[in-house]
Amino acid sequence: MRLAHPDGPRGPLHRDHRDADPGAAGRGALGKTNMDEFGMGTHSTHTPYGSVLGGSAVAVGLGHATVALGTDTGGSVRMPAAYTGTVGFKPSYGMLSRWGVVPYANSLDTVGLLAREVAPIQDIVHAVCMEHDPKDPTSLPATVRERCVSVRQYYLSSRRTQPPPPDLQSQGLRGLTFGLPIEYNIEELSPRIRDGWLQVADKIKEQGGRVVPVSLPSTKSALSAYYVIAPAEAASNLSKYDGIRYGKRASASAEDSSDALNGILYAKTRGEGFGPEVKRRILLGSYTLSAEAVDNYFKQAQRVRRLVRRDFDRVFRLSNPLLENEHDDDDDGSNKQQQQFDLSDMDESVPLESKLGPAQVDFLLCPTAPTTPPKLSDIAKQTPFDSYMNDVFTVPASLAGLPAISIPMALPKSEEDPVDFGGVQLIGQFWDDARLLAVAGHIRSKQQ
Amino acid sequence: MSESRARPSATNLSHRRSLHTQTTEEAPLSSPAPGHVPLRKQLKDEAKKAKAAGKKKKKKKNATNQVVPGWELTVGIEIHAQLNTAKKLFSEATTSFHDESNSHVAYFDLATPGSQPRFQKETLIPALRAALALNCDVQPVSRFDRKHYFHWDQPSGYQITQYYEPFARDGRILLQPRDGIAAEDGDGLAVRIQQVQMEQDTAKTMAQPGETHWVDFNRNGVPLIEIITRPDIHHPATAAALVRKVQILLNAVDACVSGMEAGGLRADVNVSVRRQSDDHPSDEPLGTRTEIKNLSSFKAVEDAIIAERDRQIAVLEAGGTIAGETRGWSIGATETRRLRGKEGEVDYRYMPDPDLLPVVVGDDLVAHLRGILGQLPDAEVDELTEVFGLTAKDALSLVALDGGARVEYFWRVVESLQAKLGSGSGNIANIAEHPTCFQLAANWILHELGRLTSNPHDASAQDLGFTPDGQCRRVPVDCLADIVVFLYRRRITAKVAKELLWVVYRGTVPAQYASVADAIETEKMWFHELSEEEYAELADQAVEGQEDIVSLFADFKQYPQGKLMFLVGRMMRLGYEERIDPKNAESTMRRLLEEKYVPALGGRQEES
Repeated sequence: MRLAHPDGPRGPLHRDHRDADPGAAGRGALGKTNMDEFGMGTHSTHTPYGSVLGGSAVAVGLGHATVALGTDTGGSVRMPAAYTGTVGFKPSYGMLSRWGVVPYANSLDTVGLLAREVAPIQDIVHAVCMEHDPKDPTSLPATVRERCVSVRQYYLSSRRTQPPPPDLQSQGLRGLTFGLPIEYNIEELSPRIRDGWLQVADKIKEQGGRVVPVSLPSTKSALSAYYVIAPAEAASNLSKYDGIRYGKRASASAEDSSDALNGILYAKTRGEGFGPEVKRRILLGSYTLSAEAVDNYFKQAQRVRRLVRRDFDRVFRLSNPLLENEHDDDDDGSNKQQQQFDLSDMDESVPLESKLGPAQVDFLLCPTAPTTPPKLSDIAKQTPFDSYMNDVFTVPASLAGLPAISIPMALPKSEEDPVDFGGVQLIGQFWDDARLLAVAGHIRSKQQ
Repeated sequence: MSESRARPSATNLSHRRSLHTQTTEEAPLSSPAPGHVPLRKQLKDEAKKAKAAGKKKKKKKNATNQVVPGWELTVGIEIHAQLNTAKKLFSEATTSFHDESNSHVAYFDLATPGSQPRFQKETLIPALRAALALNCDVQPVSRFDRKHYFHWDQPSGYQITQYYEPFARDGRILLQPRDGIAAEDGDGLAVRIQQVQMEQDTAKTMAQPGETHWVDFNRNGVPLIEIITRPDIHHPATAAALVRKVQILLNAVDACVSGMEAGGLRADVNVSVRRQSDDHPSDEPLGTRTEIKNLSSFKAVEDAIIAERDRQIAVLEAGGTIAGETRGWSIGATETRRLRGKEGEVDYRYMPDPDLLPVVVGDDLVAHLRGILGQLPDAEVDELTEVFGLTAKDALSLVALDGGARVEYFWRVVESLQAKLGSGSGNIANIAEHPTCFQLAANWILHELGRLTSNPHDASAQDLGFTPDGQCRRVPVDCLADIVVFLYRRRITAKVAKELLWVVYRGTVPAQYASVADAIETEKMWFHELSEEEYAELADQAVEGQEDIVSLFADFKQYPQGKLMFLVGRMMRLGYEERIDPKNAESTMRRLLEEKYVPALGGRQEES
């Protein structure tokens, strides 16, 4: 298997690796690819050498690599996949070790996988999903992995605790429910993407799956919360690039022999070293953590993050295995039973299934990106806010630590836009990765 | 002490910063990190200051300077202490203090991109012991936060500490008069502890000749605890007593590596004053406080608080206002000096560390540690005074010396004495039956052992080699107990006992003699005391020709003790000194003077 991975500033530094490293499982690394500086961007334009993982996605798309590794913090694997017609998978938080990954936002960072098809990604996940890495403190401990797998299907070791899973080949998607989050039908959503999304929903119904509208009321706040939390963690992480140890040193001018600016040490070096998008996020993150702003921004964003997770936990039929052992979760409590929906939060177009609320689902189905990939000339015209808006569908799963996969979908022909594909995203409950991949693989196979 | 952890002083700040940049003296310190002030430079600065102060009026003695009438002082203290752990807080690198520089450094300690913290849970044990010794509530869940600031001794750009959820809260320390509190605090007081948190130490900066500074990352990431008190202290001496007490407590529970003198402990004090009248004792809000950072001795704590209190009062009395700022103090100074004001304060941008899981401490662990915590110094001092009859002063010294090792040694000697005094075959003696023997032991451990190392010309003799578990390399427990028992049983004289102590100290026992008893036997040093008759004979000889002296005992206003001792001295010189117990010689002489020599004088006078 040929493997591509970005080896710019976010590439793994340490090569004393273990079995849990997807790259070490008997596969050769193909080479280094292109990416945004510190992974900050959506379109792989922010680089001194041009997403995020745009280079790896292209390498996979062109068939140069079977699987590419990349980090997915808020969509950096799924988005490039959607833009290049490939498959991009973000595992449950804590499944794949982050040891060696230069962190962007540690609480959101995951090691994601890109490929042309779902199968090679499935192979890797099955190979490493039980591997705890003691070097990564957020890698789930073996005992917790065991517990998670024992309540999930389609894992090799689930057979001991779970009935054999339905054979998708023969039974199709019968018995599975897919939710269309109505809050994702946003103004910015391109009509062609919306059509493509609904076509996939029709295909799923043809396969026997049930498709229902669901409500995720915190969706609107999720993007804002993401753009508070991620830059805050990023600003903190990047403070080590302080001009003392790494890279360049600003050259001294004739009148000033040091690299200080206004009496602040190393200011010139730090100013020259970071690109505009990175600087923007450092400033944003430093502000939201500052004493005057932390309550209204950073702490508020953490509360929103809990609400986002609660939204997901309410709509999924499976409970979150991590919650059962959580004592300090103040606003959730037990999730073993279906939670009562607060109907005032919920869009009235969502039908109720029972007195507790609307139907619960196995997966959520939504677009990966609100538009087809923009042209470079259009990107130049975008404000940073426009480009943050692209992450609106990928960010919620990241905030909740859930597995999500983007697979290609066909789009209606258009005269203005030659791109005839987009990405459709499936999101599953925590540690439901194996079933998510199996179902995604099935949907993918029925598209071709 | 050249490894002083003093934070940068204003005078050398520009000097340090010019390593990479040029800044004005007024520039705010970009970091509160502990920096480095070489001791030699500190002493030089002090000497300069003393010279500049010249013939200014002498400073008031601290003991009489605890209160300024009309003003109330309020002090809160933050104490940083290095935990006694084998590994760093977040890496498997070992902690070391004297090894080759930069030889114990993991990827994470250098903030290598892609490395992650790995909490070393063993570091919790000494931290929990400290929390228990400080009467804190151990929190079932605590978390780590990042505190951001820039300094070269901090490679990640942040220190990991516990800001939002510390591991221990709501403790208290009881201070008694014997702890050295100000007389104004009367019978004692309780100082509340707000919280205790775990955090990382920074790298050590070592100044080199010229403008070069070396950075040793061995210290980077070494676990510290920070103890934060409530503002419950109102007298400078009491503040110093609190810091001293914390050091004693941390040593007693083996939570810390070393005390203030070795740089293992340092204190920051927050000082404010407010007007106080008799009618309204303290209804005014607390005054604006200033923080004096990085005090490295108990005396510095007291002196700095007095100086800062007086400065604040002078400013307020002149109609000024106190700025909330950070100030510095150098040993021997008379004034604190401004380091940076509010505008120069770093916004630490505290953030929960997203890589670190919450620390969950079970009740069972806390209960277990509480069970094996052992006796705390206060209870120990009580026992030493009540059971062993030591003075409070001696008991406190015993507990404080050698970081608690000295008193451990005492307990081992007590155990050994009990066995030796017992009736054999495992029977141990009751302490109450031999009170003077144990007092003798305490006295020897405090004072006679101290004499061994008091020779300032012999550096090799400065260390007795105590270990934390109460062993002593130079004077083994058993040897000391032998000497004390022989002395107590009057098998040897005090003089011989002292000689034997040197023999042990120099290693002659066991090198040349198998045991203390063997040395006494071989050198014939056993005390064969004179019989009553022999003493009487000796006394007779001593008074011969001393009628003038003896006559002084016939009629006196005050007993001529001096003359008695003169006669005893004559006995000692006449007889075999090694067979004489001066006390018995004295009592014999006293008795015979009364019964025999003085009456004999009378007889002669009558005859004449």
